[in-house]
Amino acid sequence: MSEHVAPPVLSTRKFSLWYGSHQAVIEVDLDIAERQITAIIGPSGCGKSTLIRAFNRLNDLIPGVRTAGQILFRGEPLYGRGVDPVEVRRRIGMVFQKPNPFPKSVFENVAFGLRINGFRGDLKAKVEEALARAALLDEVKGDLHRKTGYDLSGGQQQRLCIARALAVDPEVLLMDEPCSALDPIATAKIEDLIRELASSVTVVIVTHNMQQAARVSDYTAFMLLGELVECGPTRELFTRPKDSRTEAYITGRFG
Amino acid sequence: MRRKLVGWGFAAVAGMALGIGLLVLIVLIATTALQAAPITAMRAVAGAGISLSLRSMEVPGTREAAGYVTVAQVEAGSPAAELGLARGDALLVVGSVPVERPSQAWEAVRGAPGGRGVVLPVAWLPRAEVALGTLRATPGGVTVATPSPMAQAGGLAPGDLLLSAGSIPITGTRQAWEALAVAARTGGAPVEVKLNRAGEEIRLLWDPVRRGELRFVRDPLRAWWGFLTTLNEPRYPERAGLLPALVGSLYVVLVMAAVAFPLGIAGAVYLEEYAPTNLLTRTIEVLVANLAGTPSAVVGIIGLEVFARALGAGRSVLAGGLTLAVLILPTMVVASREALRAVPRTLREAALALGATRWETVRHHVLPYALPGILTGTILSFSRALGEAAPLLLLGAFLFVTYVPQGLGDSFTVVPLQIFEWATRPQDGFATVAAAAIVVLVTLLLLLNAVAILLRNRFGRRWAG
Repeated sequence: MSEHVAPPVLSTRKFSLWYGSHQAVIEVDLDIAERQITAIIGPSGCGKSTLIRAFNRLNDLIPGVRTAGQILFRGEPLYGRGVDPVEVRRRIGMVFQKPNPFPKSVFENVAFGLRINGFRGDLKAKVEEALARAALLDEVKGDLHRKTGYDLSGGQQQRLCIARALAVDPEVLLMDEPCSALDPIATAKIEDLIRELASSVTVVIVTHNMQQAARVSDYTAFMLLGELVECGPTRELFTRPKDSRTEAYITGRFG
Repeated sequence: MRRKLVGWGFAAVAGMALGIGLLVLIVLIATTALQAAPITAMRAVAGAGISLSLRSMEVPGTREAAGYVTVAQVEAGSPAAELGLARGDALLVVGSVPVERPSQAWEAVRGAPGGRGVVLPVAWLPRAEVALGTLRATPGGVTVATPSPMAQAGGLAPGDLLLSAGSIPITGTRQAWEALAVAARTGGAPVEVKLNRAGEEIRLLWDPVRRGELRFVRDPLRAWWGFLTTLNEPRYPERAGLLPALVGSLYVVLVMAAVAFPLGIAGAVYLEEYAPTNLLTRTIEVLVANLAGTPSAVVGIIGLEVFARALGAGRSVLAGGLTLAVLILPTMVVASREALRAVPRTLREAALALGATRWETVRHHVLPYALPGILTGTILSFSRALGEAAPLLLLGAFLFVTYVPQGLGDSFTVVPLQIFEWATRPQDGFATVAAAAIVVLVTLLLLLNAVAILLRNRFGRRWAG
């Protein structure tokens, strides 16, 4: 990828991952560019969610997970000895498929990450800033403390989750099909938001919605059966795919 | 058609199961409440100032024994004391009922028409030294040594040889008074007393019975309150109090809670959130599950050997609480694990993805979310422990405790043990008191379970939002 001026934030080097005896990710080489939006697409079960969860070591919690190869985060091996997954997750935030706010007030949802990370400063301002970045502040401003995360609509909940992730100023924001549980209007809002976020944070988004990938991302990676088939600038991948399997997928012949 | 039948069949079985459960509960409450009902009259008699006890006399020449009721205790300053009743008197009649056993006196008070307070005539024979004076056993029989003023007024003189009272032969110095009491009760007063004065047989018509009126207050509230708040008087059921057992239960359960609650939750959190899946943890899981099914008596032996003997806690509140803690710990761990397992994985991931450590995730999100479930399981195990008698019996908890335990080192009894003790007593009235204690215990258990439901609903609402 010659367009990259800056070195990639995240890059995988022959990264493989097994659930027990099943290999879910097979020797993937992928670079994630800084302050760009990288979409990972592919049919269900292709390993895209597994890969994105490997980026902040959430797979560590699943018993029987093994990895091989490397993921480099700003040049440092993510799975190296002495790397604290807690620190990794603070720097690489994540938004999940289903909105999962904490059963607490909107304020506490956003403040939790700050509190546990020992934030010193104006908590209220920081929370409001995060909510503003997630385009939620105007909708909840009056009742930050009165409403719980569950009182919000699905789209608002997902934006609350984004605000929660943004509050701790992550360098990378991973999004695992963030719109799959939302209606089209809420989806459109989130997509706008993702575009805005790209100016300040690196975004990796997993989606099985090709239109979404085409709409929001700068780069797209296509995965199939655990392997990375093709990766490139979104426009190129969708208009002139190099691999016949990519072409078959984006033209809707399978998936 | 067939599918419909299956549905009906299922409904019938389910309805039967629930119906049986409900029926058992209703029958339990109804029968114990009925059994416990005389407690009001019992405490009314005690409230008038007298405690009764059953005595019996062998009727000479027969194989029969005649029962009679003596006044075992008179409270100073009570209406009974003012009336002149004293310790040792024989209570003969209450209302219009001749009383042969204490329960008949209570029944007479219970059945008397009238409202809360009722005034009933009572008749009694004063104790032997007042009614008869000093008697002496002589070769010829029982001789009057010094007649009391009352006996003198009745016509007895020093040197009289007592032959019979009513139709009951007099054979002993103590028995002479007993014969008088039984004769007065069965035949009524005056009593025909046969005696030999200077070789001459004399029939004396004598009325040694005193009469008066006593006011009994039949107040169920006061009776139950008194039962709950007085120290136990182990000899007289009408003065039996549940306070020592209630306080003992409270202390033991508190000690148990202080030990089992943190340990149970910690164990569950470790197994559910931290433990790697390997042979060791799997073994521990199986052991814990098995321990939950251990008979409580076996746990009692553990308590006896480990806490009472090896650790030297003796038969104390501390040993009792620790034994019960061992008993409920596995149940608590299993129940708490169930509650923790019900916490959605997405909630844990949400916290972890923000850079929370495992402990922060557990402390701030998993535990609060699981708390209603944990509390429900906890309270259910507590109520089980509250009803346990076997382990504490094996531990050697005392059955007779007439004082309130003051600290961890004191000996104690608990409500189920007190029930056991009362239920095994043959004397009148203890069955009633045992039933009353069962009513109290069942009420306590129902209350605890209601609290469990309330807690669950309260927290459930808060979280579900």
